[in-house]
Amino acid sequence: MADAEMPGAATPETNQARTRQASLAALRAEVARLEQGAAARTAGVIPLCEPIDRMIPGHGLARAAVHEVLMADPGAAFGFCGLILARAAGLVAWIGADPDVWPQGLAAFGLSPAEMVIVGAKRSRDGLWAFEEVLRSRAVSAAVLVLDGPAPDLVAARRLQLAAEAGGGIGLLLLPDTDLVRPSAARTRWRIGAAPARRSGDPCWHLTLLRGSGGLPGQWTVRWDRESRSLEPVGVDPVGKQAAPSHPAASSGMMW
Amino acid sequence: MSGRRFLVLHLPRLTTDRIRQREPELRQAPIATWVSVGSRRQLAAVDAPGTGLHAEQALADAQAMHPGLVLRPAAPAADLAFLDRLALWALRFTPLAASDPPDSLVLGIAGASGLFGGEAALLARISGSLARGGVTAHAVIAGVADAAAVLARSGQHGRIVEPGGEAAAIACLPLATLRLPADCRAGLHRLGLQRIGDALRQPRAPLRRRFGQTLLDALDAVTGDRPRSLPPVRPPPEFIAVQDFLEPIITRPAIDHALDHLLEPLCSALVAAGQGARQVTLRAFRVDGDVQEITIGTGLPSRTPAHLRRLFADRLGELEPDLGFERITLQADVANAWSAAQPGMAAVIHYPRGHPQETAELLDRLLQRLPIWRLAACSSHWPERSVARASPFGPIAPHGPESRLAMPVLAMPVLAIPVRLLTRPVPLTVVAAAPNGPPLRLRLGGRLCQVAWADGPERIEPEWWRETPAQLGRDYYRVELETGVRLWVGRSRETWPGRPARWFLHGHLA
Repeated sequence: MADAEMPGAATPETNQARTRQASLAALRAEVARLEQGAAARTAGVIPLCEPIDRMIPGHGLARAAVHEVLMADPGAAFGFCGLILARAAGLVAWIGADPDVWPQGLAAFGLSPAEMVIVGAKRSRDGLWAFEEVLRSRAVSAAVLVLDGPAPDLVAARRLQLAAEAGGGIGLLLLPDTDLVRPSAARTRWRIGAAPARRSGDPCWHLTLLRGSGGLPGQWTVRWDRESRSLEPVGVDPVGKQAAPSHPAASSGMMW
Repeated sequence: MSGRRFLVLHLPRLTTDRIRQREPELRQAPIATWVSVGSRRQLAAVDAPGTGLHAEQALADAQAMHPGLVLRPAAPAADLAFLDRLALWALRFTPLAASDPPDSLVLGIAGASGLFGGEAALLARISGSLARGGVTAHAVIAGVADAAAVLARSGQHGRIVEPGGEAAAIACLPLATLRLPADCRAGLHRLGLQRIGDALRQPRAPLRRRFGQTLLDALDAVTGDRPRSLPPVRPPPEFIAVQDFLEPIITRPAIDHALDHLLEPLCSALVAAGQGARQVTLRAFRVDGDVQEITIGTGLPSRTPAHLRRLFADRLGELEPDLGFERITLQADVANAWSAAQPGMAAVIHYPRGHPQETAELLDRLLQRLPIWRLAACSSHWPERSVARASPFGPIAPHGPESRLAMPVLAMPVLAIPVRLLTRPVPLTVVAAAPNGPPLRLRLGGRLCQVAWADGPERIEPEWWRETPAQLGRDYYRVELETGVRLWVGRSRETWPGRPARWFLHGHLA
């Protein structure tokens, strides 16, 4: 901004622009506050890795919210979910029609199999019911629902979001990969695919942030470093770099 | 001792009467039960009049003598339970009823006999009821419980001993009617002491030196100088709440309201008894006589009305009121001692972190509708068997009981374990460089994929102590495709060298 560079020479026009900007920011903060439940305000976020966190409002995946994950590759998506479940730190639930998750494998990300409750829900409406019950409970810090079919409709998604706001846990909705962009009440939508690791043995993933309220889309390639137990960005994606604003919340709203 | 009166029921054929009650078709047949004593099988209880069979006879002899004899294995626990049930039944005559194992009931009737028209009438009524129920009983009334018991055991059915007459009544009874150990009985017999009166006349000190305290205890009990104490049976607490309706109820709000009304007394009864319900059944009685049941279970004992109401809320829709319910009952079928857990203590439910009470309530709600479990590691290197489903409520070690064996499931570095293991492996078409070599290309979902690198093989032999001999060993490869997709691919090793190997996709790696 021009006014930031010459603070001494404030003209009436710049002053006016500044007050307008300030009141806009205050309004946005007010709207964001109204949109979130009581639990959501204090819930905090789950950090992923630095360059990605910069792109998401709150600097991480918001707790007390539902996030959609499209499975471009099941292995990578399961690993990504395992990482978030482990970082949520607490009792976690995995819900699916025929849950074939292997907790021993997820233990590599620091998730204890003893803290994982698995729910078998053959019908998707049972799965959604269980997901909502789990999200609404304060006992569970994270939950995953694996759906074979399409994403739940807006009403169901909104219910899930409200349940997550009441309970304070993070909800991950694992969906089959599709190019059909549908409206959703989820806070963010990701597409997780596998990236070549080339013998290193460390999992490498393509993370694509397709949409997120209050943020910008981006694409990253990350590697799970088993020594430091952290996600490391691999290379620099032009999309992600160009779309890094200094204050992501200021450019909110365009993702809907 | 004045004022105390006891009615003792001796049930000489308790075991066989129990069997006849349970299997009415055996009403006329000769019955016996048998036990194993060392390597020998012998009869325990016999009810076969006119056959000459007796207890402690060899089983083979008895069968040879009477092929038609109905034989059942002895079940002392069932006999005890039957005796306790009879004691509970006897509570209708007197509030003081005790079972005196193995085969007697003691009823304190001091204040009760007047209600039934005197002692003789009460005795006739009780023994008549038992006889109608098919239970043989010898009933005797006396002022001392053990005196009445020896009289009943000696078969003097119907005898009523006036107060103060016990000593005279038992003096001429044989010592064998006392419950004494066999060596004690034999010793008394050697000394020439046959009757209770004989033993009572002896100086106590030598008797004690020779036979120990047991004999003196028995003698003191039978004279009433130092009566045995028997704990009276107490009916098990019944946690049941009942509500009748003047007008049959039909609507869901009315049923909800009735449930609220029933939960309150049920839960306060549970609180009073220090118990928590593990299983609660709601029974709805319809106007046309139909009875509908809804049962819920909880993982931990619970007595919170709000929690139980939520568990029922999902299921109440199953009721079909039709013309309406005229009565609804709520009963705690299974109740356990309430563990007074301090909120926030994780000892109740076995999760390392979190809110135990809320966790338990959440799991209860889920369990009403869906199967839930946790996976516990087992000591097996066969992938499908390396974990087993465990209860979500029970304890679970973070990495299984034998973490040394189980954690590195396939002796692989931790990251090489798949994050997803397919329940049904997918057959694959694979091109390999050599019959035993790693895959070069594989067909997955109709597409031919180039393998970028493969790590393996990981050879797994079948567990011979579990498998059928036909089970084949497997070679597992960690495979990365050109696209970066990492798979866990297996090949079952064929026994014949010439046959093509069968490949399958068994899991996904992160």
